[in-house]
Amino acid sequence: MARDLDKEIDALLPLAPAFFHILIALGDKDRHGYSIMQDVAERTGGQVRMSPGTLYGSIKRMLADGLIEELTSGAAGADERRRFYKTTKFGRRVAAAEADRLSALLTQARESGLVPRRS
Amino acid sequence: MARTTMAERLYRLLLRCYPGEFRDDYEREMLLAFRDRLSDDRKVGMAAVLRLWWQLLVDSIVRAPGEHLDVLRQDVRYALRSLRRAPVFAVTAIATLALGVGANTAIFSVVHAVALRPLPYANADRLVRIWERNDGLNVESFAVSVPNYVSWRERLRTMEVAAWLGGSVTLRSTGDPIRVRSVNIGTAYFGMVGAKPVVGRTFLASDEAPGAERVAVIRDSLWRSYFGSDPRVVGTPVTIAGQTHTIVGVILSSSVPLEAEFYMPLQIDLARQDRSNHIASAIGLLKPGVSFEQGKQEIEAIARQLETEFPASNKGWGITMQTVYDAIVPVETRRALFVILGAVGCVLLIACANVANLMLARAAARKREIALRMAIGAARRRLVRQVLTEGLVLALLGGGVGILIAYWSVPLMKQWLPSSLPRAEDVAVSAPVLLFSLAVCLLTGLAFAVLPALASSGSGLIDSLKEGARGSSAGGTRSRQVLAAAQVALATILLVGAALLVQSVRHLQRVELGFDPANITTAMMGLGADRSGKPGAAWDFYQQLLSRIASSPGIEAAALSSGAPFGGGNTGMPINAVGDALIGSNSLQTDWRMVSPDYFRAMRIPLLRGRYFSASNGSEDKGKLIVAAEMAKRIWGDADPIGRQIKAGPNGVFTIVGVVGNVRNLDLSLSPAPTMYLPTSQYLWPNMTVIVRAPEGAQAPAVMRSALRGLDPQLALFNVRQMEELVVQSAAQPRLNASLVGMFAALAALLSAVGIYGVLAYLVSQRTQEIGIRMALGAGRPAVLRLFLARGMWLAGCGLLAGIAGSLGAARWVGSMLFEIRARDPWTIAASVAAVAAVAVIASYIPARRATRVNPLAALRAE
Repeated sequence: MARDLDKEIDALLPLAPAFFHILIALGDKDRHGYSIMQDVAERTGGQVRMSPGTLYGSIKRMLADGLIEELTSGAAGADERRRFYKTTKFGRRVAAAEADRLSALLTQARESGLVPRRS
Repeated sequence: MARTTMAERLYRLLLRCYPGEFRDDYEREMLLAFRDRLSDDRKVGMAAVLRLWWQLLVDSIVRAPGEHLDVLRQDVRYALRSLRRAPVFAVTAIATLALGVGANTAIFSVVHAVALRPLPYANADRLVRIWERNDGLNVESFAVSVPNYVSWRERLRTMEVAAWLGGSVTLRSTGDPIRVRSVNIGTAYFGMVGAKPVVGRTFLASDEAPGAERVAVIRDSLWRSYFGSDPRVVGTPVTIAGQTHTIVGVILSSSVPLEAEFYMPLQIDLARQDRSNHIASAIGLLKPGVSFEQGKQEIEAIARQLETEFPASNKGWGITMQTVYDAIVPVETRRALFVILGAVGCVLLIACANVANLMLARAAARKREIALRMAIGAARRRLVRQVLTEGLVLALLGGGVGILIAYWSVPLMKQWLPSSLPRAEDVAVSAPVLLFSLAVCLLTGLAFAVLPALASSGSGLIDSLKEGARGSSAGGTRSRQVLAAAQVALATILLVGAALLVQSVRHLQRVELGFDPANITTAMMGLGADRSGKPGAAWDFYQQLLSRIASSPGIEAAALSSGAPFGGGNTGMPINAVGDALIGSNSLQTDWRMVSPDYFRAMRIPLLRGRYFSASNGSEDKGKLIVAAEMAKRIWGDADPIGRQIKAGPNGVFTIVGVVGNVRNLDLSLSPAPTMYLPTSQYLWPNMTVIVRAPEGAQAPAVMRSALRGLDPQLALFNVRQMEELVVQSAAQPRLNASLVGMFAALAALLSAVGIYGVLAYLVSQRTQEIGIRMALGAGRPAVLRLFLARGMWLAGCGLLAGIAGSLGAARWVGSMLFEIRARDPWTIAASVAAVAAVAVIASYIPARRATRVNPLAALRAE
């Protein structure tokens, strides 16, 4: 069973950058769509500004893949009209696997001298 | 606020690019996110707002189609899954469609290659064929006289013309002597058709000047087979009839409409040409911007001038002009092909109706599933689209198999095609054919899925849920019955057409030929210039040859003619009667042939009066003629023609010494024309046909060759043929029409039987309970049988009536393909209707009988 889950995770890697951004945004708390867009923009210093199409196209696929889920009632103190999303356990594991993959890649880049080592 | 609304309205418009399901799910959220983002970006500045709009635009151009594809992928996956769950339905539908699309692809590959493909010649749209015509003599398109051609060429402003004389020559060069088809051709010809030389050059205008060096151009096929594709062939001398020609170029086969291997310039010495001698062929090239009509009017005007200038030779002679396309692919051929395409199209329609029926039955059976899905929120348009997608998936699967069938069957079919069918060698499943098939697949997919799609979402949700598994709406059943009746109608039309064509072929085969083609072998030969220049010497040679052949073991008779029946080509001239005659001073257009004394015995053409030509040196046959009964009858009625005379233009006066039976020389469907026979002791052509009757036909060619070799090893026989084959070939096109339409009609009858069976079997399964109740209430099995048989017959009856009406309507197109039978022949229509009705009875009987086996108790308990 565990092996099947690993296979499922591997099948989703490498993760699309938009998916990873959304998972990171949902890492600390449940958010609605625009809140995700804002968080991504803030964390990237305005470099990544998702469009509604990119955001909801990604959300649709991530829901289908089981990376995130929609909250049935709005999160505490939130706007009733909006739909909120949270990461699933599976989503967290995929995010972790993607982070491992990227960090291994970074280590390799440093070891080969392509990227300067951290002082 | 108003500005925000304006922007939102614009964004809503952009959101329309997304699929409906996506909008149902996310439109509201996206609008909210858009509103927030816009108000944030406004605070940042104009550049941020512009960047937002740019992103939204890219979204609707790039992302939205992606979402559509996603939905399509899901639908296709869903369709494949649901087809896998219903394998019997899937295989039946795919096989039905494969037959329909396969047959259509195969036939369209022929129609495309023969009748639709543009001609491969440059300027093909401006090229025309020109003939002379004489309405008084009832000849519509006749060979051209060389002096007339020269006059046209001098006077025409709207087009260029080039004429040619065809023949065959024995070519002597590096290898053994070889017989090839040759033409002497106007030098402008190659430029007019845009012919491309592979090596060297084509002709120059100076090549046809009297006294110019003798040059020749060869076809690439001869270049490969005889000269081994040697590029140094340019400059090679070849000897033709003792004269040396120098090869100046090799021409690409596909760029020249004329199928000769050896081309020489047509050098014209007007002093030696007779204006009344019609021997040449001609084409014209309309100048750019000149219409067909303008060109035709000009050359007709010139023909009228020539009529006044040369009344003795040109009185009554006008022009027939045709586009080269019409000349190569005759209108009748195209019409026949389109009739066949129509027939096979009907088969496809029937196949579509069958698949639509199957899908309707499936939709009815799945009504509950569909209603359930709608109840839990599936959008109606999504359900409709899924049924349409299922239709398209079926169509593409069936079409794919069908194209494979066509791919394998087209090479087989090519062997059947009559040799007379133009451009048949290029028949192939080519790119345009594949495009056609793809379009057919998509159209059929839509055609048979539309009704089920509408039916699956049409009726009320609650009703369907309440109706339970039985639930079939009256509307769905009605459309299935209409489809079944339409199938019967189409099958009836096809069967009537097929029956007419088959009878037509049988009439053709029973036609009285006037001679016995069995055991006859024909071959062509020519004598060298040394002999053919001296008539006496040539006839002496042929007499020796014929007696050598005739005295060989196994040979019954040997004869000589200027042309064997069905050998292609014809010769004719206008003649006048001398003295009292039914035709008075009018001319009679008469076919003529040169024949040796034994010709009639060899062909078994009966002598009705008088005598054959004499077997001796022929001095008593000078100025004598044998005529066919038809000619004698037209000129002198029932009076004895022996001893009477006719005048054959400048050839002088001839006396009739014999009357023989009528012969069909050209085509089975043409009644025998007035024909006269001239003695070979007086007239010979450079090329003659040897005719041998031998009970063991297979030996004849060897005997003929060995006799010829014994007399002159330099001479060769060519075009060796069995007369029966020639006769069979002349009916090849009608036979092909009949067998193809017959095959399609059988397929159509079978498919429509499946259609009726399907509808009735479905009705029986739907009404099992009702039958149970009827039987529980005392209805006997015969009554139940009658009930369903009557329903089947009612369906078939409606279809048959529509089919009869359709056949009467289609008569216009089929009529021209028929021989000695009317397109509205009542017996044929009645017989075909009876046949379809019989098939319908059988198709109805099987499910009706099943209805009688319903066990009332079990049926009622099932509720």
